[in-house]
Amino acid sequence: MQLLGVRLPDNHFVKHALKQFYGIGDKTALRLCARVQIHERCRVRHLNQSQVTALTAFLSSPANSPPVAVQPLAPPNYVPPPLSQPVPPPTLREGEKLPADTLREIKIESDLRRQMRENIAHQRNIGSYVGRRHAMHLPVRGQRTRSNAQTARKLNRVERYN
Amino acid sequence: MLPTAVVQGGRSAWKGPFFVAFPNLRQALENNIPIKTQARSCTILPNFIGLRFMVHNGKDYIPVTVTQDMVGHKLGEFAITRKRFTYKATKNK
Repeated sequence: MQLLGVRLPDNHFVKHALKQFYGIGDKTALRLCARVQIHERCRVRHLNQSQVTALTAFLSSPANSPPVAVQPLAPPNYVPPPLSQPVPPPTLREGEKLPADTLREIKIESDLRRQMRENIAHQRNIGSYVGRRHAMHLPVRGQRTRSNAQTARKLNRVERYN
Repeated sequence: MLPTAVVQGGRSAWKGPFFVAFPNLRQALENNIPIKTQARSCTILPNFIGLRFMVHNGKDYIPVTVTQDMVGHKLGEFAITRKRFTYKATKNK
């Protein structure tokens, strides 16, 4: 199946297939499945149309996705109302804040690559050691260069592509 | 600018950034005198902008002019400590 230009293998579990996206790993894939209500062992070919739409909508702009309703935790001294009355909707206590929704802040594919390139360009522009090492195609964090360092030679560029 | 070193650097937030108090900060800013320092691990704070530093690299002092973008980095990042290898042919052989 093709999703936003990325090919997801039909026979794979969705939670594994989502890792085809640059910027989505184990954890994010699981959380994403939970968010769009896809069960753990669902395979890509078993996705229905609404799930595909939900996935596409979320991944095309995670920041603009609708916020999820998070239920605040009950305080330790919570006393439930008697069964005869309707349950009141949960409300935030004084000074209580809902945790930030980190799943909406993810960046994938070209956005993430652009961010990475901007970070390297920033280091290069201010002339820091990290920026210099990128420009020289050498390891940045003190690794040896007498041998090995092949990954750095391949990847460390000011205009890094991957 | 990247998120500040307080957030990124693996250092407890309650401690704040590590920095060295330079006693002659205001004087240096007014008279444009470079501050000679060996404190490479000192974080560049927003009030350092425009200052000139002479940062020690283990051998001598490298001039560093602090700009807006450098805030949150360390002084030592701008004074390299390694010398590029260059082959020199021996004269007397």
